Amino acid sequence: MGEPSRQQASGLLDRYQPGGAFDEAFDADGAVRGPYRRIVERFRELDIDEVKRLENLVADEFRRQGITFTVYSEEEGTERIWPMDLFPRIIAAAEWDELSRGLSQRVAAMNCFLADLYNGGGQAIADGVVPRWLVVSSQGFERNAVGIRVPHSAHCNIAGIDVVRAADGRYRVLEDNLRSPSGISYVIENRAAMAKACSWLFYDHPVEPTEQYGRMLRSTLESMAPDGRDSPHIVVLTPGIFNSAYFEHAFLARSMGVELVEGRDLVVDDHAVYSRTIEGLVKVDVIYRRIDDDFLDPVAFRPDSTLGVPGLLGALRAGTVTVCNALGNGVVDDKGVYPYVPELIRYYLDEEPIIDNVPTYMMWDPDQRADALARLGELVAKPVGESGGYGVLIGPHATEQELDEARATIEADPRSWIVQELVQLSTVPSLAGDCLEPRHLDLRPFVLTGERTQVFPGGLTRVAMRRGSLIVNSSQGGGSKDTWILAAEAS
Amino acid sequence: MILARHAESLLWAGRYLERAENTSRCLNYAANSITHLRTGEATAEGEMLVRTLGLQDELEAVGPLESQPQLIAFLLSDTDNPGSVVSAVVAVRENLRTVRDRIPIELWEEANGLFLRFPFLGHANAAAAGLHEVLLMVRRACLAISGILNEGMRRDEGHAFAVLGRMLERSIFTVGLLEASHTGSRGVMDATRMLRLTSSLQAYHRQHGNAPDFDSVVRYLLHAVDLPRSVLTCLDRAEECLTGLATTAVALDRPRRKAALLRARLELGEIEEAMVAAPVPTLQDFLAQFLELASDVHTGIVPPLAMATVRSQYIRPGAAPGGGAR
Repeated sequence: MGEPSRQQASGLLDRYQPGGAFDEAFDADGAVRGPYRRIVERFRELDIDEVKRLENLVADEFRRQGITFTVYSEEEGTERIWPMDLFPRIIAAAEWDELSRGLSQRVAAMNCFLADLYNGGGQAIADGVVPRWLVVSSQGFERNAVGIRVPHSAHCNIAGIDVVRAADGRYRVLEDNLRSPSGISYVIENRAAMAKACSWLFYDHPVEPTEQYGRMLRSTLESMAPDGRDSPHIVVLTPGIFNSAYFEHAFLARSMGVELVEGRDLVVDDHAVYSRTIEGLVKVDVIYRRIDDDFLDPVAFRPDSTLGVPGLLGALRAGTVTVCNALGNGVVDDKGVYPYVPELIRYYLDEEPIIDNVPTYMMWDPDQRADALARLGELVAKPVGESGGYGVLIGPHATEQELDEARATIEADPRSWIVQELVQLSTVPSLAGDCLEPRHLDLRPFVLTGERTQVFPGGLTRVAMRRGSLIVNSSQGGGSKDTWILAAEAS
Repeated sequence: MILARHAESLLWAGRYLERAENTSRCLNYAANSITHLRTGEATAEGEMLVRTLGLQDELEAVGPLESQPQLIAFLLSDTDNPGSVVSAVVAVRENLRTVRDRIPIELWEEANGLFLRFPFLGHANAAAAGLHEVLLMVRRACLAISGILNEGMRRDEGHAFAVLGRMLERSIFTVGLLEASHTGSRGVMDATRMLRLTSSLQAYHRQHGNAPDFDSVVRYLLHAVDLPRSVLTCLDRAEECLTGLATTAVALDRPRRKAALLRARLELGEIEEAMVAAPVPTLQDFLAQFLELASDVHTGIVPPLAMATVRSQYIRPGAAPGGGAR
């Protein structure tokens, strides 16, 4: 059977017209790309009513299971379903192989930097790879973390690296998330919901499974036990049921078979952490925390924190417990440090980066600032300390007044901003009204590091729900897709 | 090994699950049996139900109930009434939510599913229009949750706490019903009501015939070993849970002994003997001991510096902090 083309398609894909961005499913000539051949055929057999019925089925499943997240700015309730588009994002094995090698490389270099910074005397700084002033002025730099030993020097045990595919078809890293990256539960639940609602879509697609994440995460955390202790007592530390990612915290604890604790369930005695059980206090070895540094220990950090554990920092210093991810990883999440990561790869690993950064201008450099601000209308400005898409200014979508205000803000505090070239995120067919239209998307793969590094096959594909929008964040109205990594023979 | 907070959440989830079911049954009775009564009788029946459920203080806060729809709204959808069906459903869901990592997924889904039908539940007028459907839905969901709890959950400490919570709440309801019923005429109607409100009418008929006698029903609800809602059955199961838990959680040995003592008093006929001379004070004292038992269980779970948990402020004045809730 010949390769179907867009022109031959009917129904849902009849009017599909990729724009100027790289389209994941169709090439520039309108031919279906290899990995998408069968799925495009399947969607051609569907009518809109059937697709909407399946979408409702999936939404009901999410609602019933309480697979929700919270948008804090909304007054209505606290829980919202994150819409999932049925057309999957598919990545061929060879492409994934290269991507995962690049991700491992990047996380390895960032772990080296964190180990160097907090336990190695800061050789990279001394050698001028990263400016000292930039590191110490980072909100994510944590002086209290200096000297705290971390098993295997693995400071970042769970990393979520946001990658995008640019118009040239190459992947680039957009952001690094080394504190508490969320989203893995949606990856697994998306797959489960897809399998329930439309298992026939998977026929002839040897897709890498996702249900092994709990085992991978548990083995990673077990390897982080202090002194290599066998069968360590692991807990997941959550801020509680009102946190936006509570569903994920419960999901992770359940899939690992460990307790989900809140700060009030833990107590520190004689520099060791214990959980309060009905049988008394039970020693804790590894804490997978989903709480920011500032809230971890009210004695050392924010005294008003009711989420943390008083005395936890002392226990960390005594080496009786490991907190994952380690304290102080936020320095690498700082978008001001992001432009230096390729150089860190060269410095620590003596390798060329496999995945490039998006071209980025550092606003604290007067020359780069002048050039970037002059053509801000073509670029994207990002505050270095924000995440979730908050505070981002997309030049081509901004008014002159907004651009002027942004220029003034950046001039007043250049350390707090970076400016990047606008990447036309790749697109993929997504349901819009009664047909499939191109929508921009990104990908957050997850990299686990303990005694060894593992890249979880797939990741969270986030998709903009509005035509032309480049904002994919759930908090900004984005949706998600199931991500299929094809096994080698199918690619 | 279970976190104290999780134990507390499961205990309360069990209690609120039972409460949702009990209140639904009371509402069903109110809808079926009160409608044809004269105003004065209907009011007395309504007050009796409120007393059975231990909601006199909550009712006082909203003022006297002047009509059957008011009674139904108070017991079904009044979110200010922590004993209403809606409040109990919310509390079941919130308590299970805090332990969703350790309970079967289906259990959480069923509780969440019931909660999601809330907009309908919470609307008093809509509920009154289709009250039977709403009550049927709630009772079926409660039975489904019970079924998953019994058939789908590992027999660990968490399971024991959930069952213990149900048994405590059920005993308190049954003893409260006996006490409230003794303030009435003690006729056939009172006897039948007691059986209806404990879903025991059919069982009683098969065993004792279809002309229920008040004293015989009281004995039945206190002693029947084959009746899931008799006080003796509940005590047996509560004691069984506590015995298992106390092997590792030593602080639960005190409530275990108290449960054993209550069961002994019941089995040896001490309660009935005392009821001959002064039934209401005896049942009031019996009820107080159950509330004390519930309070002791709570104290046994949670260290003296109590950790807050998700539940309504459904604690009787004078009850021990965090415990003795009805």
